[in-house]
Amino acid sequence: MSLVKFDKKVYDLNGIKKAAYKFIDKVAANISEEEDSFEVELRFSREISKEAQEHFVSEFTKEVLDQNLRESIKKETEGYRNLILAHVFSKTSLVKNE
Amino acid sequence: MNKFQPLTFYSRKAEDSYRFLPFRFNRFRDDHVLVTNMVGEYHILSSKAFEKFTKHQLDQTSKDYINLRAKHFLLDESNEVAIDLLALKLRTKLSRLSDFTALHIFVVSLRCEHSCPYCQVSRQSEDKNKYDMSIEIADKAIDLVFNSPSPAIKIEFQGGEPLLNFDLIKYIVKKAQVVNQAHQRYLDFVIATNLAVVTSDILNFCRDNKVHISTSLDGPSDLHNKNRPRKGNDSYERTINGIQLARDILGKDQVSALMTTTEASLNRVKEIIDEYVDAEFNGIFLRHLSPYGFAIKTKSYASYSTERWLDFYREGLEYIIQLNKDGVKFQEFYASTVLKKILTSEESGFVDLMSPAGLGIAAVVYNYDGTVHPSDESRMLAEMGDEKFKLGNVLKNSYEEIFTSDALLSPLEDSFAASNPMCSDCAFESYCGADPVYHYAMHKDFVGRKPESSFCKRNMTIIEYLIGRMEDDPYVKTLFQRWANC
Repeated sequence: MSLVKFDKKVYDLNGIKKAAYKFIDKVAANISEEEDSFEVELRFSREISKEAQEHFVSEFTKEVLDQNLRESIKKETEGYRNLILAHVFSKTSLVKNE
Repeated sequence: MNKFQPLTFYSRKAEDSYRFLPFRFNRFRDDHVLVTNMVGEYHILSSKAFEKFTKHQLDQTSKDYINLRAKHFLLDESNEVAIDLLALKLRTKLSRLSDFTALHIFVVSLRCEHSCPYCQVSRQSEDKNKYDMSIEIADKAIDLVFNSPSPAIKIEFQGGEPLLNFDLIKYIVKKAQVVNQAHQRYLDFVIATNLAVVTSDILNFCRDNKVHISTSLDGPSDLHNKNRPRKGNDSYERTINGIQLARDILGKDQVSALMTTTEASLNRVKEIIDEYVDAEFNGIFLRHLSPYGFAIKTKSYASYSTERWLDFYREGLEYIIQLNKDGVKFQEFYASTVLKKILTSEESGFVDLMSPAGLGIAAVVYNYDGTVHPSDESRMLAEMGDEKFKLGNVLKNSYEEIFTSDALLSPLEDSFAASNPMCSDCAFESYCGADPVYHYAMHKDFVGRKPESSFCKRNMTIIEYLIGRMEDDPYVKTLFQRWANC
């Protein structure tokens, strides 16, 4: 078992959940909320060496960073995404004037 | 209007601001990042350049910046037209959706004179009345076909071995032609047959009515006959003779072939490809087994892992690339399908790689007993006793009841890859699909667990491999561009 903490001021909970999902075939992750941090308890599906656990925790932390970046890109581009989709369907018969 | 931007356009300063357009990213190889956008454009940056890009610090005179702007990953005051162009490309990519169902599969008989252990449709060997489609069912199914708004309709005859009920095929072709006089669709027919019982009379009818032949060829004689046993152990000879006869009567381009990979195929990919080259086909579709029918019952499906099949696939693709380098024009059709999604604004219409899935809205199956299924795979699942995807019966249900049934709408809603966990953030989402039938068969859930999904692993690996090969070898990039536009 490994315990990883993420500062609440820096990390988004959704990004942590997505990283946990990505490794669902390797670990069961229990995420809890503390005063200043999110704590992730990682329980490995099969027994692995301490070294392998440390390597995994490092990979998991990188993935949490990537997922958080994805979340912020998604927020930053939400308006454009909606605008493009509206534009795509604007001339089809699927969208009718009321 | 000038054809070219002024020099100042290319030498603007780094402090000019830019905004992101929607994109996704995956880590790529050791120290790179692959970014893609909603229309499938991709670009590869070093991790360092990616970091600068995401911090809005990318040098605007750099090659990366110019590429990212040209491919619509960012917006600055010089490319405000990017949103219009993205919308146009996306509309092109999605244009097939509004056409609705184009492929209509008629299972005219479940009988077969082969006894292939990997058979995915659970063929039957006896009782003509029980396992053949009736004229009444065929009539009702033809009515449903022409309810589809699709301007192009393809009717495909499958089995079992469909030629065992050739009289019904003739009836359906003639009836569909008559009905189509009022509808004026582009009407196409294909028979998926092992060719074992084909005759000149059958092929003359096919020629006169523009019916295409799709057959099965698993490789060299010993491998094909081992995979596809029949009385007399002569499946290969019958297939090869049938291909020749069909080409003589219909024309070479009217005959195609498909292979299936069994455990016995795994070490023989070059021989299998050589067989296709010798038989003068212009390509091969290196197919893995699917988890349905006798492939499950006889444990054929479990006989090799996804990793082993991927090794087989990569070895085959490398061999095909070398053949092309040696002057033999030949392609791998699964790669071509994926490359079309990567390199063009078109969608191939390949049901497994659609999002939302092609279930019912791209293809539909009318089974011999009148039951309707949204894909060939879901009818295979039904033959195994699981009718989760059954949409109704042509004898009892209307077009509206069949195509608005919960059995269709529920898996469709769950098949938007962009809404699936992990897929929604994956850079390969616009190249991939969802395949709810596969995930239901394996995980008892339309979405499935992506980290444990063979579908996901197989496609992620192939997409990354194809892009990597284009980056490594300019010859391969040109070759793949040709395949994508075939």
